[in-house]
Amino acid sequence: MSLPSVTATLLQSGGALPEWTALAPTLALALTALALLLVDSISPETKNNALLAGTTAVGSFVSLAFSGWYLAAGTGQSGTGGEIVLYGEALVVDGMYLFFSAIFASVAAMVAIASYDYLAGKEYQGEFYALTMLAATGMTLMASANSLASAFVALELASLPSYALVAFLKKNKGSVEAGLKYFLIGALSSAIFVFGISLVYAVTGSLLFSDVAEALGETELVGVAGVGVLMIAGGFAFKTASVPFHFWAPEAYEGAPAPISGFLSSASKAAGFAVAFRVFVEAFSLSAIPEGINWVILFQILAVVTMTLGNFAAATQDTVKRMLAYSSIGQAGYVLIGLAALAGGASSQNGDVMGAAMAHLFVYGFMNTGAFLFIALTEHWGIGRTFEDFNGLASKAPMACAAMALFMFSLAGLPVGGGFFSKYFLFANAVFAGFWWLAALGAINSALSLFYYSRVVKAMWIEDATSEFEIRSKPVGLYAGIMIAAVGTFLLLPAFGPIIETAQTAASALFGA
Amino acid sequence: MNPWIAIGALAVMGVGIPLGMMAVSAILRPSVPEQGKSAIYESGEIPTGTTRIRFNIQYYMVALLFVIFDIETVLIFPWTVIYRSALESGVGLGKVLFPMLLFIGILTMPLVWAWRNGAVEWVKSPRATSRKVEGES
Repeated sequence: MSLPSVTATLLQSGGALPEWTALAPTLALALTALALLLVDSISPETKNNALLAGTTAVGSFVSLAFSGWYLAAGTGQSGTGGEIVLYGEALVVDGMYLFFSAIFASVAAMVAIASYDYLAGKEYQGEFYALTMLAATGMTLMASANSLASAFVALELASLPSYALVAFLKKNKGSVEAGLKYFLIGALSSAIFVFGISLVYAVTGSLLFSDVAEALGETELVGVAGVGVLMIAGGFAFKTASVPFHFWAPEAYEGAPAPISGFLSSASKAAGFAVAFRVFVEAFSLSAIPEGINWVILFQILAVVTMTLGNFAAATQDTVKRMLAYSSIGQAGYVLIGLAALAGGASSQNGDVMGAAMAHLFVYGFMNTGAFLFIALTEHWGIGRTFEDFNGLASKAPMACAAMALFMFSLAGLPVGGGFFSKYFLFANAVFAGFWWLAALGAINSALSLFYYSRVVKAMWIEDATSEFEIRSKPVGLYAGIMIAAVGTFLLLPAFGPIIETAQTAASALFGA
Repeated sequence: MNPWIAIGALAVMGVGIPLGMMAVSAILRPSVPEQGKSAIYESGEIPTGTTRIRFNIQYYMVALLFVIFDIETVLIFPWTVIYRSALESGVGLGKVLFPMLLFIGILTMPLVWAWRNGAVEWVKSPRATSRKVEGES
């Protein structure tokens, strides 16, 4: 009798399932989007939010289950024959794709559950969920892109629904303004990105990552290639809300419906990092790239500037949602260490530090989405936006405020949630890789961030209420979303071991090729 | 001789002849300003109103739907060319026909959605409606 794990290791490579099923996490999200469009076609005016949110959540959970199953079964990983390459090498399924798909699916599920209340009574609900699912599909494709062309198309598939979602509250000036700003900066950075791709193609004659790496090693057009690499890095800086393309983030996150802010700042950011990791490690591999193009220094500068700017700007904000937006820029700076603390040659530290960055994104997906869902809850109740408006809220809604305190402390890196270990591993691995100064700057910024994160907690728990709250209801969906995020954040503290192991194995496989 | 000289000469002639013709006719012709000459030309109709009117935003939706299916045609065309020879050389129907049906199916789904949500339903312009009411009364 064979053990389940033995039969499972042969899922795709042994012929138990056809090869295309390796993309099941993406396909589940895409089919959910089509199903939602179908529902919306049958009854365009439907306000049956339970059906729509339920379908979205189920689809996300199915996608998450596929990712988890494949990760456990070893699909596309070194144990079972390595990565699975599909569609003329346009897409690749490996540990990293599955890891990031799990992040996107869990964030999408939380957003869908919370939107059940947030969207109650609003128009165009079917479109909202369909666009969310399409964006999530694009994000998983970004994580699996194996050529610059599919990376660009996937990036657009993730971006275009996001623009519409940010401007979803059509009658709300802030939402429309945020959507327009996001769209304009997005269009500009997409143009820069695709221009960079064309330059790299001009130099290397290929769009496939492996061919690009090979051709870059022998090229004489170092200058053109360098400009191309720089422009492509700019495109990723937009998607991850890093300096210098971070301007859209505070506006878009503040104006967008709060669940969408959570979706963008967690899942969309992680997607940007997923594709950036793969492009820079595989296509612009440090071992093959000419001496003149040292992108590690570029990311070192970007990491330091992004985390410092994000944290200092967050410390000066008056409104909580905007503070969270700037803090998410600061967090992007920490994750950039995953690209900044790399060294040439086959160092095993490379995989470790990038894996730590991936694990941080995983934890971040829960704690940051949770924080924005709490903002969604306060918007649902009609509580104001500033820190003072939150004064004494804990006396009325202790459960939600306890969860919010957990998110804040975990984001700051205190040992109450998974954020502690993810930051610790990120900085520790940067030190091991020889970049102690990056880790030191990260730790200083992290200490500063405790100041503004604890302001929220202080307002909620310590200050007395300045005005009466009119809390009429306890919305089930929003509470459920926040609680899933809280339980996830908390459980990732004891269960961080498997996460970091999976992430570091996946990242090492990327370097091992 | 440098072949670019011929192209340069063609460019000089191409720009020079029309400019020269306009200059010569401007010198020779008498100037008779007249209102009919400066009026908007609407195929012989008497012009009504100005050009600064609002277009219906629906043109944009129709154009968007058109672009999608225009590109679909471009992708279907090479498929039709290889379809028969692929079947004759023994590639199964599932591999030749099914992916294209899936592709068209995926594109049809949003079309149905757009149709049901009123993208191709022609809204009556408020101006036309008001004029009609005025005419009846």
